[in-house]
Amino acid sequence: MGIRFNCVCKRFGPKIILNDVSFEVSDGEILFILGKSGAGKSVTLKHIVGVLKPDSGSVFVGDTNVSILSDEALTAVRRQCGMVFQHPALLDSLTVYQNVSFGLRTPQYLASLERPLTENEIQKIVIEKLSLVNLGSDVLDKMPSALSYGMQKRVSLARTLAPSPRYLLFDEPTTGLDPITTNAVNDLIFELSRKLNVTSIVVSHDMQCALKTADRILVLDQAKILTIGSVSEIKQSNEKLVKDFLEETLALFLPSSIGGHG
Amino acid sequence: MRELIVKSMNRFFHEFGSICLFVATIVKTVFCTRGNAQAILAQISSVSYRSVSTVAFAGIFVGAILVLQFHRILVQYDGEIFLGGLNTSAVVREVGPLLISFLLAGKIGAFTAAELGTMRVTEQIDAIQCLGTNPIQYLIVPRWIAIIISSVILLVIGLVISIGGSMLVSNILLDINPLQFASSIGQFTDLSTVASGIFKSAVYGTIVASVSCYEGYTASGGARGVGKAVTQAAVYINLYIIIANTLTSNMFEFLQDVLVPFIKGAW
Repeated sequence: MGIRFNCVCKRFGPKIILNDVSFEVSDGEILFILGKSGAGKSVTLKHIVGVLKPDSGSVFVGDTNVSILSDEALTAVRRQCGMVFQHPALLDSLTVYQNVSFGLRTPQYLASLERPLTENEIQKIVIEKLSLVNLGSDVLDKMPSALSYGMQKRVSLARTLAPSPRYLLFDEPTTGLDPITTNAVNDLIFELSRKLNVTSIVVSHDMQCALKTADRILVLDQAKILTIGSVSEIKQSNEKLVKDFLEETLALFLPSSIGGHG
Repeated sequence: MRELIVKSMNRFFHEFGSICLFVATIVKTVFCTRGNAQAILAQISSVSYRSVSTVAFAGIFVGAILVLQFHRILVQYDGEIFLGGLNTSAVVREVGPLLISFLLAGKIGAFTAAELGTMRVTEQIDAIQCLGTNPIQYLIVPRWIAIIISSVILLVIGLVISIGGSMLVSNILLDINPLQFASSIGQFTDLSTVASGIFKSAVYGTIVASVSCYEGYTASGGARGVGKAVTQAAVYINLYIIIANTLTSNMFEFLQDVLVPFIKGAW
């Protein structure tokens, strides 16, 4: 069933963040949400895991309307969702190993298993997930403060992947990462979608990543959906904001043609 | 001026109501979910360990100040014999619980508000929630219980050190030996005095725990938001402790003067 937004409205005080937003993401699909800062992209993601509730409208994850669930009932939905935050959001009192294994020790996760995982099995999963984000087992005992920002973001991604969620929500996953890891993360999002049928929603400013990885792209502007479509449809869009994003991407590849040096 | 007063009162009651609802959620979580004894013990040892040196240091000096001040008054009425009793009663009843709670507010309250506020603005609390864990159960409950229990533990330590310090000062500076000092303690201090001190300390500890956890947990707006949370925690804790002090003191006066004689009479 995927994820569905029905006429969602949200405001913080007098400021309207989301205004009648409706869209649907199918199982296994990768949707990129693009938009300027403050367009409501991160707020959209937080509605899916129930961290924020809509003022009106509804948000469905699978068949469940998460906008009316209590905190207790939401934990079952959250068990299926993995969220990578804009900041690494690692628990700074725990080591990398404890952070990545955090989701493997929650009652909801343990209840979904036939038998509890042994410590060796947990360690194996942690090392496997860290290797997916180009990190070795040498970081296991380090505290988050001993890692660079980019490494912290990768640990955060590994933590999200550890409990094998069905839905992955990325809030600017490649911000602060080097180009090689950025490519690895984009490839990972693509592989998870194609091999494991994981549904991914990626909030980003990066049109280049979106064009490379997305099945569809949604552009938010002034609290509303400006446009939504496949990569080829977005490339042909006449909307100024979309054109600006595309030109910016082109400028990265062909700086001389835009800058007027050649 | 009137508008300012009305606005301040509105804000005060709004904040107070929100803290009460937050405490209700904590209490509900304590009773409805499985507690993590290990996390609570770790927090108790951390809070007590971090504060014990400050409490001990302050205890000695407060004991010394009180004993010197009481002596100055009592000597005018030839009442030096009551020095130990008066000093101990004042420390156990009022000064001890108040002093410990103010020290806890400055040290542990500010620390807790800053720690939770930073976790909130860096999305660590959201991450815990998204990983299927209740942040109230995982983060707040151990801290809340630990601060309340630690406030009583620190009170006992503080009282012993403060009374010991008073004895030492009266022996060295006032030439009153420890036996003489201790002789009048029983006249002014009984079990109900100790019970009232412990009860007050637990109430003030609950205020420190609830306000600091609430302000940190609901912080927003980056580093500025964390700073605001810490400031608000310090202000509200001190304010609520003073109000609670008035209420608890009157409550114990009422219990001792009216209720206990009434029950004894009826018996």
